[in-house]
Amino acid sequence: MVIFQCEDSVDGIFTGVYDAWDSRIGHEAVALRLREKMDLELFAEYREVETDAQKAAKVARSVRSKMGQDAYRVIYQAALSAYPEKADCIYRVIVHGMSANVTKYEAQNVIWNLQSRDVCRVFELSRKVGNEAHRYFQFVRFRELDSGVLFSEIQAENQVLPLIGEHFSDRFPNENFMIYDNGHNDCLIHGKQRPWFILRDTSPDEVAKDQLAVREEEMQELWKGFCRSISVEARENRGLQRQFWPLKFRRWMTEG
Amino acid sequence: MEIAKNMDLYKKLEILSDAAKYDVACTSSGIDRKGSGKGMGNCTAAGICHSFSADGRCIALLKILFTNECVFDCKYCVNRSSNDVERAAFTPDEVCRLTIEFYRRNYIEGLFLSSGILKSPSYTMELLYQTLYKLRHEYHFEGYIHVKAIPGAPQELIEKTGFLADRMSVNLELPTAESLRRLAPHKTRKKILAPMRQVQLSRKEHKNELMLFKNAPQFVPAGQSTQMIIGATPENDYQILSVAESLYQKFELKRVFYSAFVQVNQDAELPALPGGPPLLREHRLYQADWLLRFYGFGAGELLSEKRPNFNVFLDPKCDWALSHLEQFPVEINRADYYTLLRVPGIGPKSAQRIIKARRISSLDFADLKRAGVVLKRAIYFITCSGRQMYPLKIEEDFILRNLMYSQSRTPAETVTYRQLSLFDDDRVFGEVPQQLLQAGV
Ligand code: SF4
Repeated sequence: MVIFQCEDSVDGIFTGVYDAWDSRIGHEAVALRLREKMDLELFAEYREVETDAQKAAKVARSVRSKMGQDAYRVIYQAALSAYPEKADCIYRVIVHGMSANVTKYEAQNVIWNLQSRDVCRVFELSRKVGNEAHRYFQFVRFRELDSGVLFSEIQAENQVLPLIGEHFSDRFPNENFMIYDNGHNDCLIHGKQRPWFILRDTSPDEVAKDQLAVREEEMQELWKGFCRSISVEARENRGLQRQFWPLKFRRWMTEG
Repeated sequence: MEIAKNMDLYKKLEILSDAAKYDVACTSSGIDRKGSGKGMGNCTAAGICHSFSADGRCIALLKILFTNECVFDCKYCVNRSSNDVERAAFTPDEVCRLTIEFYRRNYIEGLFLSSGILKSPSYTMELLYQTLYKLRHEYHFEGYIHVKAIPGAPQELIEKTGFLADRMSVNLELPTAESLRRLAPHKTRKKILAPMRQVQLSRKEHKNELMLFKNAPQFVPAGQSTQMIIGATPENDYQILSVAESLYQKFELKRVFYSAFVQVNQDAELPALPGGPPLLREHRLYQADWLLRFYGFGAGELLSEKRPNFNVFLDPKCDWALSHLEQFPVEINRADYYTLLRVPGIGPKSAQRIIKARRISSLDFADLKRAGVVLKRAIYFITCSGRQMYPLKIEEDFILRNLMYSQSRTPAETVTYRQLSLFDDDRVFGEVPQQLLQAGV
């Protein structure tokens, strides 16, 4: 068995797919693993995958054109998952769709195949990542710092920042904002009228992030008051509230 | 009834959100709109809930009244003129600032602006119009706006306001004209339906224009909705659902909301509700409404003169399936999308996956489970390649007993009254996107 160890990022995993395939060792005799996430196996040969944006882009392009945009989206989202064995599952699904003997029609439907364990796993991972990203459309809370920057801190399970950047930038083109994912130590950064980007392994200035704009506290009080007065006492149902709004999100929220 | 002049913003917001909370609509759904890049905001068709209040309801919009001052005296309403409650009114700028500041912190998707009747319907509508105009043109807000059309206001004013809003609603209030006469002496069915019809016609007209000129302004693009109060008057579920059905068909409404009556006033005309608001009944109506909109059911299939109310123990879809056993079992590998949807335990998402997956190979029960089908409900009603999962009797009593047993163990059904995610068929958040509906058709 030859094990390809790649970095935990979309580009890292796609480069791994490229190298493993390109090695011509045979799909049964190779495996793809994330670098830090593995126990070493005896009798296996290890190869380091060096992340290469061009190789990754080639894989992305081929997947898109043969397996279709839907399948690409599913695979891309799965690659952002926190699941430690995601890389190999993704490799298997791509092999499923891209092998020479698979017709284009079959390739376009691979992602709907309920009988393949790997496809079901990738589908499930993708669904979970997508759901979590949606949670952050809901639950990101910005506070205004005295610099005018809107700052938000979240603790995501999966790498959701790449999936929410577009949404918030489209919404706030004229704001300078930053969303810090302290679970992964990544920052999503958007400057007024500029494209957004992600800085990995970066944390914001500890002091600056607590220096609030003058009217910030007043706004927070108005909002908290609103959340209280909009509830109908005769319908009170804390269980239902908890079900929709889990504590792990509330912890980082203004009104939580 | 004095409106305090120098009341602070916190106090105003408290009074005017408290007075708005019995309006149940709080969704931001129905339109996808990207930002222009110049202002602030965009819209997402599925809608986004930003928070949840202590009653478990979603907070998506800054839901407020412009004022709770009112010259009308509807018996069921806290704001009625004969009540002695503290009154307040916003200025248009206050509403705009709150909307913008809440929006940029990602607290909300937009504004839901309603109002009591200050002086007259036209005077009130004019204030709503001015507020929206400022919000769109001075504050450059591009997020979601839901506004009330006030019955009795001039047509041109409603028309102008409609070009600034995403959704408009006129509340039907009560299911029948008779009930309205009794509880809302200043309102009539005719007056309520007039602006509803107007909004419907204007929407049609401007849709045609849009086909001709790509940049023609949009009129109420997310459609209109309405609300009925449930349990303040004696109508049965069949009457209520039939009214909803005709609103969908004849007025092309996007949503009908049902609001369990909450006792806020003592009045001889109002029923006493010792058990609190009729929440389970409201929940059943939402489930049935969902079946009308997304599952292709008609009101007359679910209820009848003879059986005018929903079953307390079973959701309307199971209830329907049990009384139509002659249509089952359904063959999973052949049935079309709408037939699949009628099977208890199968929802839009799983039906879509079944249809896609069976193109590759025929499906068995293990595949169905992976497709998200709730087998413990579905097994009585389906076959895979001609076989049942277990040799089960297709017999009403037997299935009923088993379904009730499994239902009492699904917490989502018994203790919660969910508005959007309605069946444990499918965990659908928000409205079902259009693609799903078209998938199998
Ligand atoms: S018109 Fe009737 S329902 Fe509306 S605020 Fe006035 S009293 Fe209440």
